[in-house]
Amino acid sequence: MTYFPEEVVEHMFDFLSSHRDRNAVSLVCKSWYRLERWSRQRVFVGNCYAMSPERLIARFPRIKALTLKGKPHFADFNLVPHDWGGFVHPWIEAMAKSCPVLEELRLKRMVVSDESLELLSRSFPNFKSLVLVSCEGFTTDGLAAVAANCRVLRELDLQEIEVEDRRGQWLGCFPDSCTTLVSLNFSCLKGEVNLGALERLVARCPNLKSLRLNRTVPLETLYKILLRAPQLVDLGTGSYVHEPNSEHYVKLTNAVLNCKSVRSLSGFLDVAPRCLPAIYPICLNLTSLNLSYAPGIQGSELIKLIRHCRNLHRLWILDCIGDKGLGVVASTCKELQELRVFPFDPYGGGNAAVTEEGLVAISMGCPKLHSLLYFCHQMTNSALITVANNCPNFTRFRLCILDPKKPDPATFQPLDEGFGAIVRSCKGLRRLSLSGLLTDQVFLYIGMYAERLEMLSIAFAGDSDKGMLYVLNGCKNLRKLEIRDSPFGNVALLTDVGKYETMRSLWMSSCDVTLGGCKTLAKKMPRLNVEIINEKEENYSDGQKVEKMYVYRTLDGPRRDAPDFVWTL
Amino acid sequence: MGKAAHSSSSSIDSSEHPALSSASSSLYHQSKTKRCLSTDLRLGLTLSSSTSLPVHDALSNSGSNSREQPSDWPPLKPLLRNTLAEKGNNRQRPTFFVKVYMEGVPIGRKLDLFAHHGYDGLITTLAHMFRTNILYPAMDGVHFDKDHVLTYEDKEGDWMMVGDVPWEMFLTTVKRLKITGADGC
Repeated sequence: MTYFPEEVVEHMFDFLSSHRDRNAVSLVCKSWYRLERWSRQRVFVGNCYAMSPERLIARFPRIKALTLKGKPHFADFNLVPHDWGGFVHPWIEAMAKSCPVLEELRLKRMVVSDESLELLSRSFPNFKSLVLVSCEGFTTDGLAAVAANCRVLRELDLQEIEVEDRRGQWLGCFPDSCTTLVSLNFSCLKGEVNLGALERLVARCPNLKSLRLNRTVPLETLYKILLRAPQLVDLGTGSYVHEPNSEHYVKLTNAVLNCKSVRSLSGFLDVAPRCLPAIYPICLNLTSLNLSYAPGIQGSELIKLIRHCRNLHRLWILDCIGDKGLGVVASTCKELQELRVFPFDPYGGGNAAVTEEGLVAISMGCPKLHSLLYFCHQMTNSALITVANNCPNFTRFRLCILDPKKPDPATFQPLDEGFGAIVRSCKGLRRLSLSGLLTDQVFLYIGMYAERLEMLSIAFAGDSDKGMLYVLNGCKNLRKLEIRDSPFGNVALLTDVGKYETMRSLWMSSCDVTLGGCKTLAKKMPRLNVEIINEKEENYSDGQKVEKMYVYRTLDGPRRDAPDFVWTL
Repeated sequence: MGKAAHSSSSSIDSSEHPALSSASSSLYHQSKTKRCLSTDLRLGLTLSSSTSLPVHDALSNSGSNSREQPSDWPPLKPLLRNTLAEKGNNRQRPTFFVKVYMEGVPIGRKLDLFAHHGYDGLITTLAHMFRTNILYPAMDGVHFDKDHVLTYEDKEGDWMMVGDVPWEMFLTTVKRLKITGADGC
């Protein structure tokens, strides 16, 4: 193997795109390690505190594309205080100094300041793609800097972000010379944008494939944009409100007919359902439809729309579609692979909400389904067993019964058997979220059968330490474990401390682990950061239960940017 | 889902019920557990008793203070949660309450037509409100003798069957609703 000239080996490595493959080849011998690190262009860092930016750059000096994730997943649900950490600035600084060839940056759950964006925009002359998901800390001023200074920008994609609107004209900051945009997503922005600047931008970017507008962009602008950009593949409408007999609506109808390439549709943040027929002509081409931000589309209009979309692979909707509506999905969308059903009224008990019936219907009608996120009011074991039999291909199965600890309403039993059937049947399951009434038994099943499981989310479940131990002992591929409000304590935490070095992270909140237990863990495993989040009390005795604990493996020791309420033990 | 640990049937202290929405457009909560299907009129507020106590305890243990809506359950991302909350609590939305009577029942109810988006929702709401099966023209299927039919009084004072005209047109002309026996048509 080492007799190949280095250029040849490097060329071979070019064909390896998966991080795991590249990690594997770098372990073969010293020369391959060296070659691989110089040729690695794309790096994924699942936990930004697992190593320092300097260490990363030292290993991979020629990174062109970097993905970073910051806060733990439960931060999405307000379980992590705002200033916990996950600052991107040190990374941008380090990259600016040593790695100016950076072209792509993808951040998830990180704190991004205007200063960071400004530095980014000025430091990387070839910067092409910025994707920010669930990030916070910046304003439209930061976006203006990116627009103005990134001369060859192709992608600016903002998802699930609350951006402070400084009423600037960030969209107008794209210079006239900017013609390279391929993807622009500002659907989560609240503020108005300069509509003229938007239209001109779209007009001068012939490669624009993905455009997601925010709520302030009216229907009149939408049809003008569609006229200029019939090549769009992914469209997110802004406000979709007009009188159906108006001139603008008629123009929209005609413009849509031209958009034969649209495969993905989302938005409808404000919607007049009577205007929906304008998009029926392109529905047959759609493979992805996201109506989760469109509570204005309900009942028969929603059903009618779905009936037109026979080729969907991905569907995200609100539960106001109801069980019957899901039946329509099951009979219409035979190619469906991913389904997400969100609760329209998370705190009420709406009439048209979904139950186990809807899920069973889907499982019978959509054999290709492999990814599910389902919020519902109830679930039965027998339904889950049926689903497990119908759909053995699940890779992601997330069920959220809105009422925590709710048993099977038909038998009043816990849902152990139902979830047990899922893990037994779905051999490729990588991600699982549990809910409803669950005992230690479900964890026994998970430990026994969920061999490929990488991420497990547990809430209000289990009876004793045994539950957590079944999982830790059984799931060989477990990378992320997050637990809230479950009776797992020090015995579960401390029985196999070596396990946590094989995982990315462990989160436990409102469980039974005590400060003493956490201290013991920290002492035994110096290469783990054991962080306690404690917002309430000053003095904490060892016997007291900790509010929130986050444990992760790291190469660079305790982080130096932790706020007061985070103690690294 | 609401918690039914209240002694007075008509008032709710929302600070003690973290799982209750503070302002939702529909004032009753549907439960799928066993319910007594008598035709006695009940108060508009029917709270589900299926929600187990642990909701309140569990949620208050997790450190969230006693707001009406705990912001860490259900596990929804903030942007979606806020978008949906806005829609649900849209206080600027106008309302259009009309009287609804059922034949044989002297006390009527009131219903916000603007809270519904079409005939389907209206019929479903009324069927739950009055605990009966309601027919209207678009429906097919077998009709039973004890089913009811929904009618409305229009601007001209005539009594018409609900469901013949487009929903928006219906809204401009309806004055009040009546649920009559199927044999009366």
